[in-house]
Amino acid sequence: MTALPASEIDDTAPSAAARPSPRQTGAHAVVRTLEALGVTRVFGYPGGAIMPVYDALTGSSLQHILVRHEQAAAFAADAQARLTGKAGVCLATSGPGATNLLTGIANAYLDSVPMIILTGQVPSGLMGTDAFQEVDVFGMSMPVVKHSIIIRDPLKIPEMIAEAFEIAESGRPGPVLIDLPKDVLQAEAYPTIPPQPRPEAGSSHPPESDLAAATALLARSKRPVFYIGGGVTLGGAVDAVRDFMARTGIPTVATLKGLGCPHPDSETFLGMLGMHGGRAANVAVDESDLLICCGARFDDRATGRLDTFAPGARIIHIDGDAAEIDKLRRAEIGLAGDISAILAGITNDWLDITEWRDTCVERKERHAFRYDAPGSGVYAPAMLKQLSEAAGDDFIAACDVGQHQMWVAQHCRFSRPEHHLTSAGLGAMGYGLPAGIGAAMTRPDAKVVTITGDGSIMMNIQELATARRYGVPVRILLLDNASLGLVRQWQEYFFDQNFSEIDLYDNPDFAEVAHAFGIEAFTVHSREEVPAAIDRLLNARGPILAHVLIDPRENVWPLVPPGASNADMMED
Amino acid sequence: MRTSLRIELADAEGALMRLIGLVERRGFTIAAMDKSETSGGQSTVTLSLAARDGARSMDVLARQVARLLDVRGVFTRDTDDRIAPEIAARAVAPSDRWRQACPPRH
Repeated sequence: MTALPASEIDDTAPSAAARPSPRQTGAHAVVRTLEALGVTRVFGYPGGAIMPVYDALTGSSLQHILVRHEQAAAFAADAQARLTGKAGVCLATSGPGATNLLTGIANAYLDSVPMIILTGQVPSGLMGTDAFQEVDVFGMSMPVVKHSIIIRDPLKIPEMIAEAFEIAESGRPGPVLIDLPKDVLQAEAYPTIPPQPRPEAGSSHPPESDLAAATALLARSKRPVFYIGGGVTLGGAVDAVRDFMARTGIPTVATLKGLGCPHPDSETFLGMLGMHGGRAANVAVDESDLLICCGARFDDRATGRLDTFAPGARIIHIDGDAAEIDKLRRAEIGLAGDISAILAGITNDWLDITEWRDTCVERKERHAFRYDAPGSGVYAPAMLKQLSEAAGDDFIAACDVGQHQMWVAQHCRFSRPEHHLTSAGLGAMGYGLPAGIGAAMTRPDAKVVTITGDGSIMMNIQELATARRYGVPVRILLLDNASLGLVRQWQEYFFDQNFSEIDLYDNPDFAEVAHAFGIEAFTVHSREEVPAAIDRLLNARGPILAHVLIDPRENVWPLVPPGASNADMMED
Repeated sequence: MRTSLRIELADAEGALMRLIGLVERRGFTIAAMDKSETSGGQSTVTLSLAARDGARSMDVLARQVARLLDVRGVFTRDTDDRIAPEIAARAVAPSDRWRQACPPRH
């Protein structure tokens, strides 16, 4: 990627070379520690209390990406973390800077994404006095962080930041917030001791007797289903899952975050289950006599009405996090620990499920999605399928939230789970564009496409400036139905067609908006334009936006009504 | 039926707030609470808890509490509601009635 010429960036700060060598402060310790830990990029936005860190960034090897809203810093860092498995880093000032980060922090927490959040804070002596731009972000963020700390001693900065990274990345990953009072950042903090890497804690393993019990339960099963979630990726167990599927032939379904774990071409992979899952997947779960839940948490979007979910099934629940076992559905056998080792420890010598497997595979073929929609308008599911097939195994989708998010899950092909960047747990509109920027900066070699809607794009549209500033090769596919489509769909079916506040008839011309940001853009009006549009998108070298007009009446099918059983799905 | 949780808690900023917040967010009400003096960098917090609805599992809560970085150990003990509170308060529970809910983290 290429940055804009320096002449185009308004940087009025004096250069480092023009200033006297600064004394070493807590802020320098922050920057040097990040460098020592191998961090190369941070996403942020400056402001009062965090200014000492921005001062120390000058001359650092860290690449600072200036976003245009703090929320975008968190989302971009989140995407980088999902792709690398290493903690993404974002920073902002106190008060509104910190509160603007909260949605991004919650997003990382609910999807178990490792992230380090650095927030400036008012000086220690003013904390608790309602000072200017003071909020208790330490307290506010507690429900949505894995851990949080306030650093009060500048000499402890290296040690505490290193510990924060270890916490964020180990076990079940998550965001860790570090609050930095301004006086700590400005205090003398020399010398900085480079942090020492700590040995990784070993994974726990369930007892052999539990593995034997699981094997026995599987041997007695006639209709087992393998139910895969995002915990598989977190546990580094994608290969183990694929091996288990190949070894056992058990029909497999995946949650939104589990997509990409089973190989997309696997015959026994039945697709996504749940509210917008396929018929083959939901019916298989409904008829199963044994559900092997692996790295999933019985989320309501996956289970529908919980007391009717897999009603005849016994449960083997495998998870890296013991706190997920029995949380929502009692398991006959709970196996917490290293997922790969657990799957390897479950044998299937006596398993005979040929008839069941054939039934599931036949049902999958019979209920496969169709793409022959009538008319000449753009049919979004077909376009998304063509896009992912054209992009191939290097396709990385950064989804926003809404109908397009579900269409991506249903119709795109993911060779790896980390290639499907989606706000699964939080469902945060506005994730797509900053996540696409973070992903494209992390994997400039890949085909990174932000797939968004006309509602979602407006949540963080200012980040077009970031994409332009750094020449980020993010392709933006904007599916525009001039409404909040998923809300409209629910109002159509569950609120007596009382269409309340979903009409976005007055959207701007998005191609013109992109042009105003200095970004290449074009509009797609009809189906016959789709192949050329996909080709243009995928071959772009810098940011590009395709504004695609689709039918406002298009819906996402199938759909399990709220509060209903997955077996009662509605179909077109 | 109430259940008591005994938590060995590190002396860290925000540790108590984090613990109490988690317990309440996960669907339990705190009927009584006791915290020991901090000694050796940690204190013992004893919570008497009642679930807000029948779907909440104390075992799951204990594992969720054990995930907190400041928690060093979690123990559970069932409490018989029929015992009048003043009698229960005077009774000295033998230590072996506490059951370790999760392996210690540290």
